[in-house]
Order: sequence, then C-alpha cells, then structure tokens
Amino acid sequence: MGQQLAFICRGPAILAVLFAGLLCLAGLKMPAAPECTASPEYYRIDLVPTRRVPAARSAVGTADVNFASSPFGVAVSADGHYVYDLTVLVSNLRAAPAGKAYVVWITTPSLDQVRRIGTLLPDESVTGRVDWNKFLVVVSLEEAGRDEAQRWKGPIVMRGLSRSGLMHTSAGHGPFQQEPCATYGY
Amino acid sequence: MGGLHYRALLTAAWGLLSLAAHAQHEHHMHHVPADSLAWRMPPMDMSMPMLPGLERALPPVQPFLAGQMANPGDLPTARPARLLALADGDTLHLEASLARRHIGGKALVTYAYNGQYPGPLIRVDEGSTIIVRFTNALEMPTTVHWHGLRLDNRFDGIAGITQDPVEVDDTFDYQVFFPDAGLYWYHPHMREDIQQDLGLYGNMLVDPVQDDYFSPVHREEFLLLDDLLLDSHGLIPWGLEAPTHALMGRFGNVMLANGVPDYRLVARRGEVIRFHLTNAANARTFNVSFGEASVKLVASDLSRFEREAFVESVPIAPAERYVVEVMFDEAGEYAITNSIQAINHFRGEFYPHTDTLALVTVTEEPAQPDRAEQFALVRSNSEVIADIAGYREHFDRPPDKELVFSVRVQNLPVPIMMAMEIDTLYVPPMEWNDAMPMMNWLSTGAQVEWLLFEPSSGEENMDIQWRFRQGEVIKVRLFNDPKSFHPMNHPFHVHGQRFLVLSLDGVANTNMVWKDTAIVPVGSTMDILIDMDNPGDWMAHCHIAEHLHSGMMLGFSVLED
Repeated sequence: MGQQLAFICRGPAILAVLFAGLLCLAGLKMPAAPECTASPEYYRIDLVPTRRVPAARSAVGTADVNFASSPFGVAVSADGHYVYDLTVLVSNLRAAPAGKAYVVWITTPSLDQVRRIGTLLPDESVTGRVDWNKFLVVVSLEEAGRDEAQRWKGPIVMRGLSRSGLMHTSAGHGPFQQEPCATYGY
Repeated sequence: MGGLHYRALLTAAWGLLSLAAHAQHEHHMHHVPADSLAWRMPPMDMSMPMLPGLERALPPVQPFLAGQMANPGDLPTARPARLLALADGDTLHLEASLARRHIGGKALVTYAYNGQYPGPLIRVDEGSTIIVRFTNALEMPTTVHWHGLRLDNRFDGIAGITQDPVEVDDTFDYQVFFPDAGLYWYHPHMREDIQQDLGLYGNMLVDPVQDDYFSPVHREEFLLLDDLLLDSHGLIPWGLEAPTHALMGRFGNVMLANGVPDYRLVARRGEVIRFHLTNAANARTFNVSFGEASVKLVASDLSRFEREAFVESVPIAPAERYVVEVMFDEAGEYAITNSIQAINHFRGEFYPHTDTLALVTVTEEPAQPDRAEQFALVRSNSEVIADIAGYREHFDRPPDKELVFSVRVQNLPVPIMMAMEIDTLYVPPMEWNDAMPMMNWLSTGAQVEWLLFEPSSGEENMDIQWRFRQGEVIKVRLFNDPKSFHPMNHPFHVHGQRFLVLSLDGVANTNMVWKDTAIVPVGSTMDILIDMDNPGDWMAHCHIAEHLHSGMMLGFSVLED
C-alpha cells in the first residue's frame, strides 16, 4: 500500500516530466504539477480555470481537504458537519496585475453563503477551514487590500466543486419540483 | 388565483406520487403478526420510491427472531443493570438467557445477561482478577469477549481460536484479568449481529490505583448507547444463516441509552458528572452532544488522553469508549443528543437530524462543593505522556504491515448493483445513517464479503496470520479504499493489545490515548502503532457486526519470549 501511495504521489510527477518533454519540444511553457499532499485523494477538489482571465487560462490547481485536528480523528461539529482544513494549491498562474490579487473563497452551491479563505500567497497556496456539506472553491481576481470583502467582485479565475457535490438527486427536476435544485443537489 | 390553482395541483400531484410510492411497499408483509417468522421490510421513508425490480425482493436467508420455541409469557421480565463491585478473586455467575422487554410500548423477546439490560456493570480495581462462571441459556452457541482487556489469551472468548463455542446449557469459566484502568465492555463473539443487538452487552469499569487519576467530580454515570430496529409489530427479524444488512450494517431506528429509549437523569445546578460512554450499536456511529453544557474529554479505551480537551461533541464509533466530564451550570433541561448530517441519496442531499438519547433535568439546588474551578482546568497527564514517549522512536519509521479495506460482492440483485455504482459517485467519509435501507436490508453475508487485504502477501481476511514476538512494536498502515464497490467507514478493533493512532491522512496525532478500536473513514489512511505485549493467538477486525460476520477479520499471534 505504501507502494501504492508512493505511486499516487510520484505518478503525477512522472507524467509531468513526460509532458514537459513534449511541451519543450513544442516550445511551450509547462504547467507545474501541484505538490502532492497526504490528503485523501478521493476528496481532492480539482480547480478548473475559467476563460475570463487570460493570465490564468492554463492554470492548474487543487483544493485538498484534511480532517481538522481532533482527538477523535474524524473532526465533526456539534451538529455533525465535517470540519476540514482546506489547502489550495495553484500553479501556472501568472502574477496578478499591479494592484490586484488572487483571492480564494468558499461558497455553498446556492451561493447564499460565502467565506473568504484568503489571498494566494507567493507560493500560490492558501489554507483555511470549511465545515459545509457541499461547497465550491472559487479563486477570483480582486483589488488588492480588500481584506474585509464579504464576497468576490472580480472575475472568477478558477473554481471547483467538493466531492460531496457529486451526490446528485435521483428525484430529478420534474414539473413538481418547487425548490431550486441547488438547495438539495444538482 | 392562478397561483392557488397551481399550488393545489402540485399538492394533489405530490399526494398521488406519495400514494404510489406507499403502494410499492405493500408487498413486504406489513400485516403479519409480530411473532411471525415472515420477513417484514424495515421501516423507511415511505415516500421514497423503491428501485424497480425490488418490490417483492426479500433477503436470501431465513428470518430469525429470538424465542420462537418459548412461550413469551414464561420468560422473565428484564430489569435495569445493577452495579457489581467485585474484589480480586471474586466469582461472578453470569448467565445469558431470554428475557422480555418493553420498548416503545411493544413487548419484545430479547436476550440478557443475568436478566438485566444492559448486563451487570462490573466494577473492579486495576490489577485484579475475577472468575466469571458463564452459563449459556440461549438458543444458540455463544461466547463472551472481554472487549479491550489485555487478559490471558485463553479467556478472550473467540470461538475457534481461544475456545470452543459455549453450547446451549453449557458453561465456561473465564478468568478475567484487569491490568489497565479504564472503561471496557463485554459482549458475545458469535453472531454479534444478533446476540449483541438483542441486548447482550455490559460495561466494566476498572478503577485506577492512582488517587488523582481523574479530576474530582460530583458523581459518575454510564451511558451504553445502542439502537434497535423496530416496526409497528416489533423487532425486524435477523438473518438466520448469515447477517442481513451486510453492506452498511444494521442501523436501528430506536435509540437506546442504557437499554431504554427515554433515559433520564436528575442533576443539581453546577454539578460535574463524569460520563462513561460506550457505543454498543451494531453499525451506528453516534455524534454525542450534551446540549449547552461544557464537555471535557478526559479518556478513551485504555487510558487517559495525554492532555484533556474541551470538545463540542463526541463522535463515537461502535465499540469505542470515551470518558467525558460535563458541567451543568444552569438549571433546566439538557438533551443528550446524537446530531448528524444525514444523507438522503434519493434527493442527493444532506439534512440535519437529531436523536434524543437521554434527558438531564438540572434543578435549582446548587451542587456542593463548587467544582467550577477544577472543571475549567485542562490537565496534562504526565504519566500518559511519559508512557507514550517510550514509543516515539517508532513513530516515523515505515509501516511494518499494510492493510487495505475493501469489499467483494456477488449475486446481489441487479437493481442494487446498478444503483450503487451510480450512487458511489460520492461516498461520505462516514455513514451516520442508513441512507439506503432497502438495499442494505437485502444484502447478506452470503453475497457480501468485506475484506482486509494485505497487498504485500496478496492475502485477505483469516488467510492473514501475522506472527510477532512479545514486546515488538508494530506499525500498521490502514487504508480504506474509496474506490471499492461500497466503501464505508470501519471501526478497526485489535484484540488483547493496545495501540496508538499515529496519524490520519499523514497529519500527526498531537494528543494520543491508548486505544483498542479506532474509526477509519472512507478514503483515509491511518497509521497505528500496536504494542504487541500480550502473548497468544488473537484477532483484529471491523467492529460493525455485519462486516465482521461477512469476513472482515484477520488473525495474529504474539509469541512468548
């Protein structure tokens, strides 16, 4: 199993080296593979770039969730929400224009709640905490210094959906569905 | 007006859909007498449509209910558990037998130790030994496992490994040694899915030699948590040849604390109570809160924590124990609850769900003496820290053994296979509720084989027979494969030894405690360090009863020096 884990960690690196060779041959810049963490791979969130910010069109990124430190191992709140440490890692993202910054947010599927995780650090990472059942990770390009902002105003650079968001309703979106689907799934 | 018509139309249409869904469930023997051995479908959300093709499906095993050969009127009525304080060398006569219980207004035929629910609370001093003269007055073979105790291997209660089954009307003498202070429990180790679920379990409290082992409290209470699966007729039958509910384990729909659904306590304002929590459920992990009261975590299976900690709630998996101190500083009523984010797979949603496990009524009368100041202190336990420090040299070395948790299925109904393959787009780290009651019920140990797989040898389950020398310290990496057919959390239990949880998903555990059972969530990797100090032939297994009896166990020997 250690070999399996080692392969999981080394696999992307090997692929990245092969890919780099191909890109070099083509005269293109290689997107760096995000660093492999010990987070459960299954719950890793892939961050996908939008096309709204040219500087980020070839960016790659992940958001890893690890249980927050807990004497029980599994970290849950009093009402049963998982409590996760969130680690966002992005690469191949060009430096933000002067006066701008890349900011990471989390939001619910219905976008009714938004929390600011923080500004991407120079190493293109940021950490925070999340305790929602389903959530999206959003990276946006914001005016620098707007640390008190309650939600993003700038264009979305990248976004990703928690694994739990894949839990899809089998009830469908029939004519009798009154709730917006974002309240119970997609 | 148009809106009103639309709403009326919607309501009528929804009503029709619900009626149709109810009609789908009609074939599942809802009108049979409670003592009948016909299968009855477990209670479920009746507005939830059934999978096409399962309307008439039944588990492919015979149904079992206790006491079919007995006249219920002849059975004694079970009584609440009694405390048995035993001294070193004492003998306890313990009998497992049939007993009548009344739960939720229903008369049930159950099992009981010494006619009590739970079984007698055994209280002994650290270092003592007692003799338990056990008699089997059940209707099937059984044994008694003394969960968590590092006792003499001959008395661990494992049929086929440490002893023969105790046949009906037969006896067995257990010599039970209590080397470590802490909270333990005893239960059968044959068909736990039936026998334990029917009430065969009890606590053992081993009082420490050390005077100030815990902070002073006003009193101690015990909460043995369980759940029971009932419908309007009584107990839902179990599988005779193999367990039903093999996929997720048998979740009950009636929560029990100390064997009753309405457990109540009275406390005084400011009272600090030390609660000893044990999860005796077949499959359910509880997330226990104490209302607005402050909760301090002090100990778990075999020891105190390195450092006490205030916590919001106590997630406790089957077979785990936790000791918490709770201060009720205001008069009023406090609900001890199980609060979870349940899952409705049909709607693809999480929803908050709360069960009340017990109620504590706090009176205006102040508790004496005032313990508030002591309660606010968070102690570091230097003895525990020093003990664990002796093992730190092993923390960072590569694992000696690796196991992957997985599952193999065969001959499950096609609709279940199809639905589950779609459903497993997302698997939660923990299953807090039975989100698929129909599919779960229909899966049996004849179709589902849960696996402990060792990649290095290619062996699995009881083909794995590890051998160690007494005194070895073994690091084991446990990986709960999220890409198996039906991943699920597993409480991993090691017999006869103690272990430390070193890390979860590569993140080091910073507050350790000696354990014998730890929960491994789906997709997670847990490193544990086992102190192989107790010689003999032992087992390690998942403590979800239906998973255990669907194969999820291995053997290991600790050879005496």
